[in-house]
Amino acid sequence: MRAYISVFKMRLRMELQYRGAMIGGILCQMFFGLVLVAVYRALYDSKPQSLPIESVVTYVWLQQAFFRMMFGTDSDLLDKIRSGDISYDMCRPINMYGFYYARIVAMKLMGSLMRAVPMLTLAAFLPKGWGISLPASLPGFLLAIPALLLGLLCVCALENITVAFTMRTLDSRGMQGLLTMLMMTFSGNVLPLTLFPDSWQKAITFLPYAQLLDAPIRLYTGVYELSAALGVYALQIFWIIVLIALGNVMWNANKKRMIVQGG
Amino acid sequence: MSYIEVNNLKKDFIVKKKREKGKLLREKDTVNALKGVSFSVDEGELVGYIGPNGAGKSTTVKILSGILTPDSGEVNVGGVVPWKDRKQHVKNIGVVFGQRSQLWWDVPIIDSYNLLKDIYRIPQASYEERLHELAGALDLEPLMRTPLRLLSLGQRMRAELCGSLLHRPKLLFLDEPTIGLDAVSKLALRDFLKWENKEYGTTIMLTTHDMEDIAALCSRVMVLGHGQKLFDGKLPDLLERFDTVRNVSVKYAVEPDLKLPEGVICNKTEDGLELSYEPSKLPTSKLLSILQDAGNIRELTLQPENTDHLIAAMYKELDL
Repeated sequence: MRAYISVFKMRLRMELQYRGAMIGGILCQMFFGLVLVAVYRALYDSKPQSLPIESVVTYVWLQQAFFRMMFGTDSDLLDKIRSGDISYDMCRPINMYGFYYARIVAMKLMGSLMRAVPMLTLAAFLPKGWGISLPASLPGFLLAIPALLLGLLCVCALENITVAFTMRTLDSRGMQGLLTMLMMTFSGNVLPLTLFPDSWQKAITFLPYAQLLDAPIRLYTGVYELSAALGVYALQIFWIIVLIALGNVMWNANKKRMIVQGG
Repeated sequence: MSYIEVNNLKKDFIVKKKREKGKLLREKDTVNALKGVSFSVDEGELVGYIGPNGAGKSTTVKILSGILTPDSGEVNVGGVVPWKDRKQHVKNIGVVFGQRSQLWWDVPIIDSYNLLKDIYRIPQASYEERLHELAGALDLEPLMRTPLRLLSLGQRMRAELCGSLLHRPKLLFLDEPTIGLDAVSKLALRDFLKWENKEYGTTIMLTTHDMEDIAALCSRVMVLGHGQKLFDGKLPDLLERFDTVRNVSVKYAVEPDLKLPEGVICNKTEDGLELSYEPSKLPTSKLLSILQDAGNIRELTLQPENTDHLIAAMYKELDL
């Protein structure tokens, strides 16, 4: 266990060094946030929806603030696979899936905290109807935090599947592009899942992509009742187990057929 | 029983060729990287493993370090089959791949070492003692707080070596460890390896293209070519077998009247004469007396045996 905690801490510290990337990320996400909010306000001006605009705007800001958690990749790790430095990790007495999982959790946790705290502060000072609103209730807020952490574990399991694909194809871009498109659509990054037609809601909220950030946001904005929290956690945990199991199967299959190319 | 036992090791790689025009599927090519290699290495030996590019050296090292599964053949390292009991096996080995890096790019190297400590579960006291020892021997003390990306190639190689030896492996694989190093770094690295081998009886297997590495370090050398073992023995024996042609250059005060025996090739150059001869047919002393009798010698150079030339001659003769 020590090895996994140790690599977790190491990756946290490494992430902290990339302050330039953090500032760039915040500026970029603030811009996207403002554009999306303007688009939804225009939409509401012509055709108001049943969901209040404040809820949609809050949804957008939370999505933007945790962008790094959703879409940030450990480029160091992908480079390692490309360059073959991964062969060093293969001759260590560790479970490689777990070792990389710990790395990815650290990267996404620290990366998103570093961006989310300043961004949400900025978004809170925007005028009403443009900025983020307070949570629907204090219990709702408190219940959203464990959901966010479970979402983090879930997105890391998804990410490790992408890494497992990369070990087959060597270049991460193809598979990553495809998976990112699915993720953008079904996680609520482009269009808040709360705005999808009611008939879609059941299916779409069951998918793993909805467990990452959509579920905690719904608890925060009060779209989910407080009593629904346990059911939300259960579904999240279900997907974490499934995705980790799938990732492990892929990693073990990779190990058998793995060839580190070149001398 | 020897520490490393390798028996009839085989490995093929399938390489997909570029699709030819008019064909629907890509054709596949099979490359026989290893065609049945056998050898054994005793504990504490320092073995050089040489061969031209693509001979199968790295493939062997990858199999022995548990990264790659062979197609057939038996391997036993210290009682363990590397790719079957991977976790057990890798605890006892250290690996340095000269062209890859195990240390973290953006963090001080001491942090990478601390991570390795946790990976190998090295007790704190043992770790501190070993780190101090290695840092002293490899002159790393002043660099401990420097991120890897700021180190020069030679410093980086020393840092990598330290990382591979922290857990006191019984067996060390070095894949081209002196590649790109300057003379001082190379000498320091060789001295260190000799010391580590003598002090702890660490078995070391070294692949390299630098024949001086082999000459300085290895009591035994194995030559691999086309996936087969071609030679296994002492370096001087290897050299003797292929030490067929030698060169002498000689300069006379006045044009000499030189009658050379058959088999000696003579070329006139601006600087004098370049002769090449086969010492097995014409002893060096005899050639020298012929040269001296021919006239007043102003300058004479006997070219020393050059290991690189010998190895090139050997590869050529073995059709590699």
